[in-house]
Amino acid sequence: MNKNGVLPATEELIERIGWLIRLRWVAVVGVALFLEVARRVFVVRLPLGSLYASLAALAIYNLVLTLVFRRFGERPSSGVVQSRGVLRWFLLPAPLESLGHDREALRAAVFANVQITVDLVLLAVILHFAGGIENPFLLFFVFHVIIASILLSRQATYAHATLGLVLISTVALGECWGALAHYPLGGAWRPDAYLDPVLVGAQLSVLGATLYLAAYMGSTIASHLRRREREVVLLSGDLQREAEKLAAAYEQVSRTERAKSQYMRKVAHELRGPLGTIQTALKVLLQGLVGELPDGARDLVARSERRAGELAELTHSLLVLSRAREAAVGGEAAEVELGEFVAGAVAEAQDEAERTGVSLTVARPPEPLLMRGDREGLLQLVGNLVGNALHYTPRGGRVTVSLARAGERARLQVEDSGIGIPAADLPRIFDEFFRASNARERRTDGTGLGLAIVNAVAVQHGGSVHVESEVGRGTRFTVELPLAGAGAQGPAR
Amino acid sequence: MTTPAKILIVDDDLDLVAMLQLVLERGGYTVTTANDAAHGLRKVESERPDLIVLDVMMPDGDEGFQMVAKLREESEPYFAVVPIIMLTAIHHRTDLRFYPGHGVGTQPTAGYLQVQEFLDKPIDPARLVERVKRELGKAKKT
Repeated sequence: MNKNGVLPATEELIERIGWLIRLRWVAVVGVALFLEVARRVFVVRLPLGSLYASLAALAIYNLVLTLVFRRFGERPSSGVVQSRGVLRWFLLPAPLESLGHDREALRAAVFANVQITVDLVLLAVILHFAGGIENPFLLFFVFHVIIASILLSRQATYAHATLGLVLISTVALGECWGALAHYPLGGAWRPDAYLDPVLVGAQLSVLGATLYLAAYMGSTIASHLRRREREVVLLSGDLQREAEKLAAAYEQVSRTERAKSQYMRKVAHELRGPLGTIQTALKVLLQGLVGELPDGARDLVARSERRAGELAELTHSLLVLSRAREAAVGGEAAEVELGEFVAGAVAEAQDEAERTGVSLTVARPPEPLLMRGDREGLLQLVGNLVGNALHYTPRGGRVTVSLARAGERARLQVEDSGIGIPAADLPRIFDEFFRASNARERRTDGTGLGLAIVNAVAVQHGGSVHVESEVGRGTRFTVELPLAGAGAQGPAR
Repeated sequence: MTTPAKILIVDDDLDLVAMLQLVLERGGYTVTTANDAAHGLRKVESERPDLIVLDVMMPDGDEGFQMVAKLREESEPYFAVVPIIMLTAIHHRTDLRFYPGHGVGTQPTAGYLQVQEFLDKPIDPARLVERVKRELGKAKKT
């Protein structure tokens, strides 16, 4: 049903009726032109008065139809049809007939039938005044049959073919038997051909066969087309429902993801307080504030303090990760200059770089790269990438950090000559708690959250991160982030 | 011999309060404590400590801030100048840190919380003592 409560098939029917009315104007013009040409060029002696009167009738009739047709669009009436089954069966093309409950369809079909019937009568009248059986234009009856097959039911099409045949037979036989006047075309036409019953019979038979064949072919093709149309309508209805289901399912998944993130954040939040207190207590012990500790005790306390510190790191990472996943970065976010961030992260890492004997260099563009973002998240992103690069690069290696503008985005690359990531691990490298097989050998205390945070922060800001790596040669991470004023900001969540 | 400075600790974590009290008393200070903002305010009024160590506090995470705001609103000059050290975990939004003198994006200066120092948890005892000493020194000069 469309918005007016009308079936799409009915809308099609109404549209085609409009087309028929427009086509009739072409016919009016065509006949008028032909009559003019016939009068001046062929100088045929035809009853022009009667012919022009018929033409005028055709024009007035089409004008009336145009006005009636306008009201079809304006006053659609839907609702259950009260007509008898036979009428529906006769008039309505197959899909409408079986769907049934469309009063508008019935009105349209009656309208179309009336038009075609009147057209047939007018054609017969015009032909009668223009030579009758002599006139080659009697083939034009076929057009009406074809039009009927497009608009109407198979039954109605055959009925109209029959009507056409009856009308022209009436004219031809009437003229042949002297009941009707004959208006000869003259010229090259044999003047008494219309009196020859064999000739008239032959013409009428061939015309009849043509009309019925046309009715058959037209109806068959039209019914196939209508069946396909109906299938398409049903299919697109199905598709629409499937799309809605999919959208609902996606929404459900998003909600679940957000709930998970919120839960993770709450848990991490709760863990922090007691953890901090434990750490302070251990520090108090280590700093000898309650007396000197025996060596064994001191060792245990130191280990505990270290492990508690790792736990604190972990909960902090979990908090950062869940924050990055929960909220998209909006227009109210702070303005951030990426160059300063990158320079800051690299400066902080220089001490460690010196300690581990790795060269750490940074290249940044001269102009500021401004974006809107979450400072803490971005700090984590840059810090984690640089930290990872340093941790997994052996002595003598190098880490290069480069920042550049790439169109509407900033491109940050962190490249190292370190141990690399095995190809089998690359697809999972951004998964939370995942650590590549060779990473665990080198450093046992990673949380496995660093890259998950990098990915989450990049996505939160509407950007992306990619990795290329080769074991034993090194790794390169490329992060792209949209710059301020670049249009779309942050993913919709 | 000068009387030792009096420090008020306000925190809802009882264990931490006990530890910090131990640390500060070891450092030679007199310590009084409170476990929530309401008690804290009463203690400030009644005991007039030389310095306040104040936790941000649960459950909303801003009881501590509210207490600072209330204190600083009081008409007596003491309340406006008593040094406050805030104990914080890292907040969800960095603009809550309100570091005086530090820029945080576009945070206007008027939004800064009027505390003298922030200390991140876990509290390092030595650092706490050092900061307390420093702030008391500054306060004496003014």
